[in-house]
Amino acid sequence: MASSCSQALRRHVCKSCTILQMHVSFFFIFIFFSEEIVIPKKKTWSKEAVLQALASTVSRDPTASDYRLQDDPYLTPKTSSEFKLFSLSQESGKNAAKYFINTYPKYFQKDYAQPHIPCLMPETLEAQIEEVSEAALIERIHMRKVEAAVDLYDQLQQAGTPVSLDVTNQLLDLICFYGDSDPAQENVPKQRSEETEDVQDEPQTKKGRASKASDQLKAAWKENNNAERIFALLSEPNTHSYSALIRGMVKYCAYSKAFSTYTDLLNNRLKADVNTFNALITAAPEVKEKYNEKWELIVDLLKEMAEQKVKPNLLTLNAVLKALRHCGTLGKSQAFPVISEMKALSIDPSLASYNHLLNIFYKPGAPFLGQTGILQEVMNEVSGKSFTPQDPDDGICLLLQRCLLTKDIEQAYRVHELLGVGENWRLLGKDLQQNIYYARFFSLLCMMENIDVMLKWYRDLVPSVYYPSSNIMRDLLQALDTDNRLDLIPQIWKDIKQLGHANRQKLVEDLLTLMAREKQNQEVQESFAECALDIKKMYDTGDRGKVIMSWTATSLSDIISVLLAAQRRQDAWEILKLFKTHNRVPSEELLNKFLMCIMESGEVNHAVELVQISAGFCLPETPKLIQRVQQEFQLSEQQKNILSDLEIQTFNSD
Amino acid sequence: MWDGNHDLDIVSSQLNSAACFRNIHCTAACLKNRAARIRVGKGDKSVTYEQAYHPHHIGHRKGWLSQHTSNLQGEDGAAERVVEDVFIRRFMYGTFHGCLADEVVIKRRGNLLVICAVMIQKLLPSKFYFLIGYTEELLSHFYKCPVQIEMQTVEEKVVYKYL
Repeated sequence: MASSCSQALRRHVCKSCTILQMHVSFFFIFIFFSEEIVIPKKKTWSKEAVLQALASTVSRDPTASDYRLQDDPYLTPKTSSEFKLFSLSQESGKNAAKYFINTYPKYFQKDYAQPHIPCLMPETLEAQIEEVSEAALIERIHMRKVEAAVDLYDQLQQAGTPVSLDVTNQLLDLICFYGDSDPAQENVPKQRSEETEDVQDEPQTKKGRASKASDQLKAAWKENNNAERIFALLSEPNTHSYSALIRGMVKYCAYSKAFSTYTDLLNNRLKADVNTFNALITAAPEVKEKYNEKWELIVDLLKEMAEQKVKPNLLTLNAVLKALRHCGTLGKSQAFPVISEMKALSIDPSLASYNHLLNIFYKPGAPFLGQTGILQEVMNEVSGKSFTPQDPDDGICLLLQRCLLTKDIEQAYRVHELLGVGENWRLLGKDLQQNIYYARFFSLLCMMENIDVMLKWYRDLVPSVYYPSSNIMRDLLQALDTDNRLDLIPQIWKDIKQLGHANRQKLVEDLLTLMAREKQNQEVQESFAECALDIKKMYDTGDRGKVIMSWTATSLSDIISVLLAAQRRQDAWEILKLFKTHNRVPSEELLNKFLMCIMESGEVNHAVELVQISAGFCLPETPKLIQRVQQEFQLSEQQKNILSDLEIQTFNSD
Repeated sequence: MWDGNHDLDIVSSQLNSAACFRNIHCTAACLKNRAARIRVGKGDKSVTYEQAYHPHHIGHRKGWLSQHTSNLQGEDGAAERVVEDVFIRRFMYGTFHGCLADEVVIKRRGNLLVICAVMIQKLLPSKFYFLIGYTEELLSHFYKCPVQIEMQTVEEKVVYKYL
């Protein structure tokens, strides 16, 4: 206990030591995890040291991993796949516990909590009420059991029991939201759940990731499905019923049907509600072909909305803007008037509206003359405000993508600052969206900023928030190249190894090319040589079924150049032999370089072997090599014979 | 006659007093000078710091394994806390079988129940996380309060001395 205590204590002391050391004296270049922790014998603090140390604990700790995970080196993930594995295994443990709790609820009924905490009580998964009645139907609707509810409704109809209009409307909502099939079982672990809304209020919010939503939407609206059938059975459908049906049709891509249902509604002299209109506006671009027809349809819908005295809401604005994306140049002219009208009705645009706006004005591939102003204006509007997620298209990722495409680093910084305001962290989305956001942020930084700023962000965000992909690491290497800081390459290589990208062929080859390009000064060259030998180990047969990289001629020559520049002839010699074993052909400049090195060292045997190797590959360079060796080396009789044999061979083969 | 009745009453009342009864001892004999002590043996038994020091060292060389406020003046619920602690210790011992390096420390802060455990790196980290999620969820639902596990891992059981 004492030693583990002292170990833990040492780690703790060192963390606070390093925090103070950051301010008091700097003598480490620290890239994450590889800090050398040295405990000094005596330390003097400045007057503000305590305050500075306390201040550094308030903001996010860049050396810690995610809050969901345990704070222990063995349990901290080093790559993004490990992070995903750990958080998912924790979620599956939670699901296993939930299974036990819900299967044996009698052990969890005793209620200690005052006030009562409903989320800690076991849930009932099976419907309790068995007899055929309206209450049973309501229960199944609450449990989201679509098929059971439909069966029960049919049974009630056959038994002749009248079902009230409210309950039928709820049933229609349920069917139209889930598209007439049961929702997928929630065995897939839920990630950080977003805001969940009641089915009756907002059936249009798409839950889950984009992939899950598209899985649901793959089921298209079937002909004569239960929703339409039950709707037809209704003697007096009211606004709510029509609304449910139209929204379901739009969600499952039955657009023309939606419009015909709408005309039915008008023929029955009923009024539509705001959600119906939102759905119809979303469907409008799909129904018409030409831009102005689409716009006219939308304007007609808005006019009818005004006639029926239905107040538009934020989702209306977003639906109109989204539809305008499909309207080409007409969209550009109409976008701003729409926004100003909505503002007059006191509807504030959300992030989704700004996203749609940017999509309208920045067409992919079009030159952005005079359009950079819009991004800046949007950022002016948006900075400093706290947004709540209200629309499924709210997402800060798209704003950053716009900055990336227009290569605007100023706005990107403003977008990043926006994340720190109030509740905006929710807009970052789930892990996948977060990864995309940071990937874009980093690529923009690599492109636009100099290396010191880039490294500052790198140390801040990696790996506590983001585990970079191999593409980002390549961008980082390019940035190092542009700024001429190739001496940092060995440290970046250590990070690459830790992130698990050490077996990515393109990344490693890029790294080798950068190292081999120029001769550096002595110590840098030494570190390069160590790095090159380390990389060589990566190429050897990997264990545990890892992806093995294959040698190419360029990578081999790069390693040899690096080793030769660092005067490591023996290692270089061994790698030269690898050319034969892996069937790659060395280039002539490599052989020349090698020969020059050999001349410096004066190893005659090596020179002869070199010539033999090049003869073995039947290189056109061989005669010249032979001549050079004969001229510049003191050869023994045997070696002269060998060389003359080779000369004759190559002469004959020419 | 009056004296006889009176004497009879005195005798029977004295017979009924507690000093005159002999009851059956149902539990095993738990001597307080043998509790939580590992006796000195041949020198091959490894012992952790927690096990090496005896209960009279608590507060002097050892800390407390269970921290709650029920033992303060005017607070109630001490017995319930003890029963919960016993259950939690057995639960942790069974769920993380063979992985516990030392006794589990249980801290209560307000509503929150923090279980601090030192584990041996016997399982893969993903398995540890599975068990952590399972334990937290199950115990939260069982005790109707948020349960948090703070885990530290060591490579081997930390030996303090050999007895």
